[in-house]
Amino acid sequence: MTSLGQLPLDSDTASSLLPETVMLVGLIAIVLIPNLGDAKFRIPLTSVRVPVLLGGSRFNMTNDPRMPNRISNITFLVAFLSSLVLISESPREVGGVLMADGFSRIFSTMFLGALLLVSVATTHRIPAKTKAPIPEDSDSKATVDRKISVLIDNRRQVDFYILLIMVGLGMSMMTMATNLFMMIVCIELASLSTYVLVAFHKESPSGGEAGAKYFIVGSVASAIGIYGMSLLYLWSGSLDLDVLRESWQAMDGVDPFAAFGIGMMLVAFGFKVSAAPFHLAAPDAYSGAASPISGLLATASKAMGFVALFRVLVIITVPEGAEALWMVALGIFAVVTMTWGNLAALTSENPKRMLAYSSVAHAGYMLAAFAVVGSGISSTEESVVILTAVTFHLAVLVLFKLGAFLVITHLETEGKGHNIEHLHGLGNRDPMIAGSMFLFVLSLAGVPPLSGFLSKLLMINGIVSTSASTGSSDTSDIATWAESVDPLFWLAAAIVLNSALSLFYYLRIGLVMFFEEPASTKPLKAAPSLRMAIFACAILTLLCGVGPVSEWLLDLVNGAIDSFMHQV
Amino acid sequence: MISDPLTVITLIPILVSLVLLIVPKITSSAEGLARASRAISMGVSLGMLAITTMIFFGEIGNVDWSNYNSGYYLTNDPVALIPSIGVYWKVGADALSFPMIWLTTLLIPISMLVEWDAKKGHLFHPLILMMEGALIGVFVSLDMFVFYAFWELTLVPMFFLIMIWGGEDRKYASMKFFIYTFTASVIMLIGILVMYLYTPDVASSGSITGHSFDMSVMVSSTEFIPSEGLRHLVWLLLLIGFATKMPSVPVHTWLPDAHVQAPTAGSMLLAGVMLKMGAYGFLRIAVAAFPESTVAFIPLLIFLGMASLVYGAWVCMGQTNLKRMVAYSSVSHMGLIFLGIATMQPLGIAGALFMMFAHGIISPLLFAVAGAFKHHYHTLEIGSMRGIAHHSPWLSAHMMLGWMASLGLPLLAGFVAEVTILIAFWMSFGWLVLLPTLTLIITAVYYLTSMQRTIFESNDPHHGILPDTLHGEEPRDITWHENAGMIILGALTILFGILPFIFWDMMSEWSSGFLLETLVQAMQSEGVKP
Repeated sequence: MTSLGQLPLDSDTASSLLPETVMLVGLIAIVLIPNLGDAKFRIPLTSVRVPVLLGGSRFNMTNDPRMPNRISNITFLVAFLSSLVLISESPREVGGVLMADGFSRIFSTMFLGALLLVSVATTHRIPAKTKAPIPEDSDSKATVDRKISVLIDNRRQVDFYILLIMVGLGMSMMTMATNLFMMIVCIELASLSTYVLVAFHKESPSGGEAGAKYFIVGSVASAIGIYGMSLLYLWSGSLDLDVLRESWQAMDGVDPFAAFGIGMMLVAFGFKVSAAPFHLAAPDAYSGAASPISGLLATASKAMGFVALFRVLVIITVPEGAEALWMVALGIFAVVTMTWGNLAALTSENPKRMLAYSSVAHAGYMLAAFAVVGSGISSTEESVVILTAVTFHLAVLVLFKLGAFLVITHLETEGKGHNIEHLHGLGNRDPMIAGSMFLFVLSLAGVPPLSGFLSKLLMINGIVSTSASTGSSDTSDIATWAESVDPLFWLAAAIVLNSALSLFYYLRIGLVMFFEEPASTKPLKAAPSLRMAIFACAILTLLCGVGPVSEWLLDLVNGAIDSFMHQV
Repeated sequence: MISDPLTVITLIPILVSLVLLIVPKITSSAEGLARASRAISMGVSLGMLAITTMIFFGEIGNVDWSNYNSGYYLTNDPVALIPSIGVYWKVGADALSFPMIWLTTLLIPISMLVEWDAKKGHLFHPLILMMEGALIGVFVSLDMFVFYAFWELTLVPMFFLIMIWGGEDRKYASMKFFIYTFTASVIMLIGILVMYLYTPDVASSGSITGHSFDMSVMVSSTEFIPSEGLRHLVWLLLLIGFATKMPSVPVHTWLPDAHVQAPTAGSMLLAGVMLKMGAYGFLRIAVAAFPESTVAFIPLLIFLGMASLVYGAWVCMGQTNLKRMVAYSSVSHMGLIFLGIATMQPLGIAGALFMMFAHGIISPLLFAVAGAFKHHYHTLEIGSMRGIAHHSPWLSAHMMLGWMASLGLPLLAGFVAEVTILIAFWMSFGWLVLLPTLTLIITAVYYLTSMQRTIFESNDPHHGILPDTLHGEEPRDITWHENAGMIILGALTILFGILPFIFWDMMSEWSSGFLLETLVQAMQSEGVKP
């Protein structure tokens, strides 16, 4: 392994790490720019004064409280676009621990897109006000509180966006890691930042509670994962994924070190993707955090867990043509996860909790697809289709899951959104936003021709075409066929039944938006860039479901997964 | 003249309606725009009617419908939508779909005309135009994915029509309508997905799943579904979807509520075309793909058809609400379609097709009449007004014609359909035919009583008894635009009653071809006599 000191920083390498470089520059800029001032340094013995820019009184323009938000928006936009361009570049290895290829760039584009939306949405969720008067003695207590909260919000703008860029940096590095140590470090960089972001509104009771719960459960899960990683190191002497794969293939029988190591890492990743039974912190975290952050957890953070699963499960442990060790366990967890998520979502009265549980259910669908890849009866082509479906689902989830959270964000700008009653009559108050929300929940439910249907169809198709041919075909009796078919088929049936079940709570959102009377008929607060983000999500949800855009995205994902599976 | 007319008549109305719905949001000048969008909607729908009429006469597409062969006409070069999963834009029409397409383009301008003065006209008429595109899309698409997308799209404008312009209970009705039909179509979707997953490998065409949504491929490859039990199951799933749309007892309960609350134009389209989507899909997909299952489940079809027929008629007798009565009579007539299909005779299936068409022009007339009552008398209670022939002679005349057509008076369109279905039923099931025939007497009873009590039966030879809802005001006769719409529908009822062969010939050609190609073999293997 090349040590980091010898990192070859030629121009090709630099260009293949462009998004990360952009974020690094953004991180430095977001610290420096608001602090620029008019301090001057007088060269000794002369009267020449050279501006040093740091210190003195700050410039009005750069000291604007809205500045961090703008820098973060631009950073994420540039990083997102450069990552998008890099998808079709040829693979490049950097420093022995990173591998920038189509697969990693698909995911980093996904993460950066999500972060861009979050960053744009936060403009209105944690607003920065240029006029922030200082409380006076004559003010009433309520006025003082309001003024102080404006001042605090202004003060902590920069904190929020620094953390957000750190999340982006961790996540996009994580997608490229080919070494378990590097991967865990990047995941921790992203996770630690999200713990703070969840607890960002620490003054509100639910914010503090959510942050604490998420942090404790998350760090325990991470600790277990790192312990599992150390077991793997003990067993093979390396943390390089290729070496681990070779050792696994050469393994005679099942080595307990290896099995426990992988199992413990699954716990850590299971927490990240919020799979049952490691999902219990998720609903509290989602409902306590600001909605854009909840959306981030439900899309990018979950996808990060799936990248780890891709790397660890598919690269290391899938044997050629035989059943993987974890297949049965993962299949059972998948069914439990999706059913638990949907049943819990049915009874939720808080739309954020409901979306959290629906996110748990979606994790279940995708884990079911993973179980089929590990079953050993799927050919490489079938595995490619299934994993394409999972990746495509994670990509479009950014559009409609995050989109739904952005609609809740819109309600949060007026202090609501934590009870389904706040959605009542949204159709009267703002038909466009309500229509977008309806589109998002329909897509979550998987109604054609929206993008949620396309990915679910690909998943079900992959599972069924792998398993259904195993059933006996010469019988006219459905019961005999049902007994003879491979149990994997029932994973597809479970996905279909769960999707049908999920329709009830998704449609309920639509019904309350259009049928219930709103508490006030006032239109929503103006939030132009948030609205723009919501509409962009809604239009893309539709376009990624049918037509040339969906085809383009599917081709992109399919190509990346294809090369990923063939390099294994 | 137009290279791909079916794509044009599907997409133009949807695009125009989207523009008309969005532009007022931007310009926000109300009154003039409402008139303009109403005129544009009407113009576009008339254009569509002109195109379909020219298709019928062979001016566009050079189709000779009088010499109908099996297969699709006016097909296009498939346009790739999502080739990765085998979705293409593929359209075509045959004798099953073309009368429905023409009917749709006919009913849209008429329903716009009847509600020419609707409130919020800048939304109302564009929504009806969107309905046109969605309905035609259902009938022309030869790709199951696109078919399903249009199937769901029809819900959207109808939902808003009921929700915004409906009566007092519109919320309940539109919610019930949406939940019923949406749930049913999700169940249907499961069936479609199973069919999709068993289409033969077409990976060479760029489909990464190896399957195709092409309707003819899906329909013809059901033998790959491994067990007969699963085929039966899929057939039942499809039946639930289609029967709910038709609607058939016991999943019909959304229909009376939706009809009673819907605005007149909504009711006309709902009864005229939307219900036929169920019968169309049933024939096009369920019967064509699973002939064995259809033959095996003939008793179920007869039961459903008979139950709808008898129950619908029976409930009609007790109805005091004019519109609810007409709605239940639709349930009753849709039962006849199932009976016609269940006969497995070319005559019966052709009769069912003609029933779809005839009911498609008669029931809009009935709902236009009922809507006019609501509009001018502010009530739909049958007993509350008598002898209105004195006050609204035109309305009474239309009511009489519509009611007579619906109860099956000879020389009117409904008679042709009913009598052919009954003949076919007799040929297949012998004396069992007495049951539907006697039910038609019930139909006559409720129509005649309601008509007699409403139009006639006033003790005063010069004056009727007016309902309280008028508060003593003198009712006006129907407006010119209502009258014009009803006259066109009435004239067509008479026209197709006297000259049914305009569409009958191609329908009966299609039915015998369909029977020979798909059903005969299944009937022989199941031991049912053709």
